[in-house]
Amino acid sequence: MTAVLARPAAPVLRRDRRRWAWGLAALVVVGWSLAAALGGDVLNPAGGAQVGRFAAAALSPDLDGAFLGMLGTAALVTLAYAVLGTALALALGAAGAVAAARTTWGRRGTGWAAARGVLAVPRGLHEAVWGLLLLNVLGLDPWVGVLAIGLPYGAVTATVFAGLLDEVPRGPYEALLAQGSGRVAAALYGLLPLAAGGLLSYAFYRLECAVRSAVVLGLIGAGGLGYQLALSFTSLRWPQVWSAVYALALLCLAADVAGRAVRRRLAAPRRRAGVLARDRVLTAAVLGTGAAVVWAWWFLALSPASLVSARARGQLGHVLGAALPPAGDGALLREVGAQAVVTLQMSVLAVAVAVAGSALLAPGAARPPGAGPGRRLAGAPVRAALLVLRAVPAPVWALVLLFVLLPGVLPGALALGLTTLGVLGRLAAEAVEEADPRPRAALTALGARPVGAWLYGVLPPAAGPVLALALYRWEVAVRDTLLVGLLGAGGLGALLASRLAVFDWPAVTTVLAATVALTLAVDLVSDRARRVLR
Amino acid sequence: MQDRSRRAFLAGTALALATAACGRSSPVGSPPTAAGTLRIGAIPDQDPEVLQRQHGTVADAMAAALDLDVVYSPVTDYAAAVSLFRTGDLDLVWFGGLTGVQARLQAPGAQPIAQRDIDREFHSVFVVDGATGLAPSDDLRPLAGLRFTYGSETSTSGRLMPAWFLQQAGVDPQGFPGGPGFSGSHDATIALVASGSYQAGVLNEQVWRSRLEEGAVDPAAVVEYARTPPYADYHWLLGPGVAERLGADDLAERLTGWFTGLSADDPADAGVLELFGAGSFVPARATDYDRIEEIGRALGLVT
Repeated sequence: MTAVLARPAAPVLRRDRRRWAWGLAALVVVGWSLAAALGGDVLNPAGGAQVGRFAAAALSPDLDGAFLGMLGTAALVTLAYAVLGTALALALGAAGAVAAARTTWGRRGTGWAAARGVLAVPRGLHEAVWGLLLLNVLGLDPWVGVLAIGLPYGAVTATVFAGLLDEVPRGPYEALLAQGSGRVAAALYGLLPLAAGGLLSYAFYRLECAVRSAVVLGLIGAGGLGYQLALSFTSLRWPQVWSAVYALALLCLAADVAGRAVRRRLAAPRRRAGVLARDRVLTAAVLGTGAAVVWAWWFLALSPASLVSARARGQLGHVLGAALPPAGDGALLREVGAQAVVTLQMSVLAVAVAVAGSALLAPGAARPPGAGPGRRLAGAPVRAALLVLRAVPAPVWALVLLFVLLPGVLPGALALGLTTLGVLGRLAAEAVEEADPRPRAALTALGARPVGAWLYGVLPPAAGPVLALALYRWEVAVRDTLLVGLLGAGGLGALLASRLAVFDWPAVTTVLAATVALTLAVDLVSDRARRVLR
Repeated sequence: MQDRSRRAFLAGTALALATAACGRSSPVGSPPTAAGTLRIGAIPDQDPEVLQRQHGTVADAMAAALDLDVVYSPVTDYAAAVSLFRTGDLDLVWFGGLTGVQARLQAPGAQPIAQRDIDREFHSVFVVDGATGLAPSDDLRPLAGLRFTYGSETSTSGRLMPAWFLQQAGVDPQGFPGGPGFSGSHDATIALVASGSYQAGVLNEQVWRSRLEEGAVDPAAVVEYARTPPYADYHWLLGPGVAERLGADDLAERLTGWFTGLSADDPADAGVLELFGAGSFVPARATDYDRIEEIGRALGLVT
């Protein structure tokens, strides 16, 4: 009887002063960014016709056979980049996790901090920046796309994997150590099996993100769907742009659905006769992914030799020689400081827009367990809209918004906000689906109206996880600002593009260092804020 | 036993991965090992989607005429085209005036091959939003108070030369309310000025004329304001050491001969000329672009 009554003690609900402080600070920062974006006139209604052309083309995409064939091949290239980039990220992440885990270092905090600091550099640079830098060293080699995804993702994966390893229960690990087994063996048999579910789940989430990143790489010339999209976008051939967007949306959808199915099965392991059974579907998914890696390697015709060729070494020397030492003149540093502020404002607004949009759309997009087919069908348009929002690359949104908004921070921030909403809205819908259904059911049973039941039964428990996800996306948004800066929005990205265009390598190094520092700072702040949310 | 078979499996997989790529050319990029191949490319300028997707026309015609293997490599970015020329991934590239200068500075020994008939005296046009009510004029000073956009950062016709002519007229080329924008392409410039978000902009005259002919421009929304004086623009540039690598010492002369010999009367040649919007090609010399280099240095776009 006691066993039944001994429920885990519910945490005592009380007002958390720190939450209030963080909440107020967030409001002040959003208000400050908004004031910067809304200073003066912002609307340009006369541009509605141009937006109309873009929107009308959504209904009449280019369906020419030859063009679609080309998009098909391009989609395969994008997929191959995503698969290989993720595989590389996982390999790097597994190795890096060992270096970045507290378990490895124990009480030696300096080593741990050094490892974290080293990882901050690759993840602080956008995939497109990695692509441009690698292009200068490796030339037109498919490794450019694979490494541009694999290196930054590897650093992020290492941090996440290290966190997962540090958070699993220590019992088995310590028991093995106490029995005299070595630390490596103890970690392999005492920690890894417990963390395996989380690791695999995250791996598939990375694959979904990699598909979108592979498209961004296409914009800088690495081939694939993004490349075809960029070509048509240059001449504003909207029907062709939409065909590419739909192809990309399908690819994203496939990755989302597959990744989600795998994560669901991992979250609820199958049991047969009370014993954990091997899940055939999961086994197939892992083997299938392995086969996809082999296919992608063959399809892209990767050759390890080109990574260490004399030419690559020579070009690396050329770039490093030109880029070091970084430029440090006062005018550039003042410009970097001013643009860093713009980047920060843009990223804050983007996340604020995404959070507000998610709060509105997540209830519609969610498929709560036990919902009828009618409810599921009603949510389909919302989910499709979110898919399109994240499938249209941010530079396209930036131009389209600029038709109806005057140049400034706002169109850039909104463009980022729309793509972020596409991602965050879907994650928020998942958080709503996974929230405990009982409070809402209880409220409904007591006679509450649906809106009241949602506001008091679903929103409070879902708000924490969604805000935490938004804080994660903030760091991504800071890096993404470089995609939308050129059209009058400014920021570090516009400065970087202008220095890259004239091959001013010392200034490029300075701007990149500032970007890494800003990303690191945002990461630290968002980490603190997330701790308060827990 | 099981252990051994597992090891054999792993070794086999590694070997398969290492050899799988051999003998297959990548769908992205050209293998640097293809020593006997001429790798050509072009900056993404006017209708890049047409040029890049029908590149077979140029590559095949060139291959047939010069008895060489020719492959076309796609590029979406001005700076990337210059970098790939420097790394030797592209042998022969269709550059703009400014990108060609940048490329020759980074790859000393590169040689201009040919330009179009229209490139000796190329023009840009300043366009304004119809709502500004500005009438066509040669005076650029009224533009200073308008929201203004260039095209790509290192476009000769969409940035460098217009900035120079603005400066000559006493207008700060980096001034303008809120600073100048960079639309990214000539077509985006037209669309942005038509919307009124930017009240004025500047673009390649050839693109402007062809969009007018197609009827793609609303004549009330975008108005031609001024036409710049002439300057030298686009050209084909051959990388240093390419002739040696291909074992054809007279490669530059043969290429110039082929380009200048293209005739609009020949149906095969006409296809190539049409892709580049050219009536014919004429020889190009490095000295044609000395002025571009000087202006580039003066405006900080050549370092």
